Amino acid sequence: MHAWFKKVLTGTTALLLVGSSSAVAQVGLTSNVATVALTATKNATLTVSPNASTATLASITDNSNANNFTPVSLTTAWNLTAGSSVRLVGWFATPAQALANGTNLIPSSRVEGRVNATAYSPFTAGPVGGLGVAGGSLQLFSQAVGSGSYLGTRTDQLDLRLDLTGTTTVAGDYTGTLNLQAVVQ
Amino acid sequence: MRFGRWRFSLLALSVILALRARDLPAQVRIISLAATAPGALSVTVTSGAVQTIAVVADNAVNNFPAPVVIQTTWNVQPGQTNTVNLMAYFSVPAQALLGGSIQIPSSRVLGRMATGVPVTFTALTQNAVGGVGSAGGSLRLFSVNIGGANKNASRTDNLDLQLNLVGFPALPAGAYTGVLNLRAVTQ
Repeated sequence: MHAWFKKVLTGTTALLLVGSSSAVAQVGLTSNVATVALTATKNATLTVSPNASTATLASITDNSNANNFTPVSLTTAWNLTAGSSVRLVGWFATPAQALANGTNLIPSSRVEGRVNATAYSPFTAGPVGGLGVAGGSLQLFSQAVGSGSYLGTRTDQLDLRLDLTGTTTVAGDYTGTLNLQAVVQ
Repeated sequence: MRFGRWRFSLLALSVILALRARDLPAQVRIISLAATAPGALSVTVTSGAVQTIAVVADNAVNNFPAPVVIQTTWNVQPGQTNTVNLMAYFSVPAQALLGGSIQIPSSRVLGRMATGVPVTFTALTQNAVGGVGSAGGSLRLFSVNIGGANKNASRTDNLDLQLNLVGFPALPAGAYTGVLNLRAVTQ
């Protein structure tokens, strides 16, 4: 009877051990790993923002280049993935009539521009990087960019003037539109 | 004759021993039988396994476009399992999304499960649960108590994701990619 008891006890213990090992196995049971692929794309950007939409010249002085418009501040911002330079171009859509007063026209060759107090140049160049028109454009700056400067910004003061040296104008209001656009090359 | 008497005695002894042997209790051999059905636990993304924000806006909360639909299935023993938990986590919390040298940490990725625990958008900054997840890069999505009625069950939940760039430095242009892991664990 003692042997019987020992064997029964041994068997019971074994069963208990089997049961307890199963319990441990189910705590901490893990599933497969499912995944979600995430992609967020930041697009390349290039913007030009003037601080004013109007530049005025209150009184034209004939036969002079002392015809300064009110300055305009331009902020150019870029966030790029490629390219070697950012260029800002100004142009008149119709160079022969940069400003007009009825049939009285001032061509783009009489309008000069500069940034940051450099020398004035007329709007008589060709397009840059596809921007602008032949004979009515001016590159205002070219900023080198690279992998360390693909995210950047700069602010420039644009000065504009009329060079009416050797000419006179008919009295009246002359208006026109200067286009400003940046391009990456 | 003497030999014959001895032979008789031996035969008689054998009979006695044989009869005695029948009276002895048989030796009992106990064979314990144990058959354990292993628990089953699986996670499947039925849709939304690829999430793309086409145009990321700086300094703003960007929503991933569609919910991640997750089906979790289990077959466990109630007496041995208290809860089934679903975890979302990034392996490296400091770089949940990566674009070149720019790292977006998991604290900028928020998850919401209306049918789970984070019913409002919550950053993936929690710790692992039951050994599943990463320290500071995890989020427990749900925890369901197990009983007899749901020991063998399945549920489907929607996980909404956001990328919170409010106050984060402007991102250089480019693509930022990462992998969000989903895994269930019993406790």
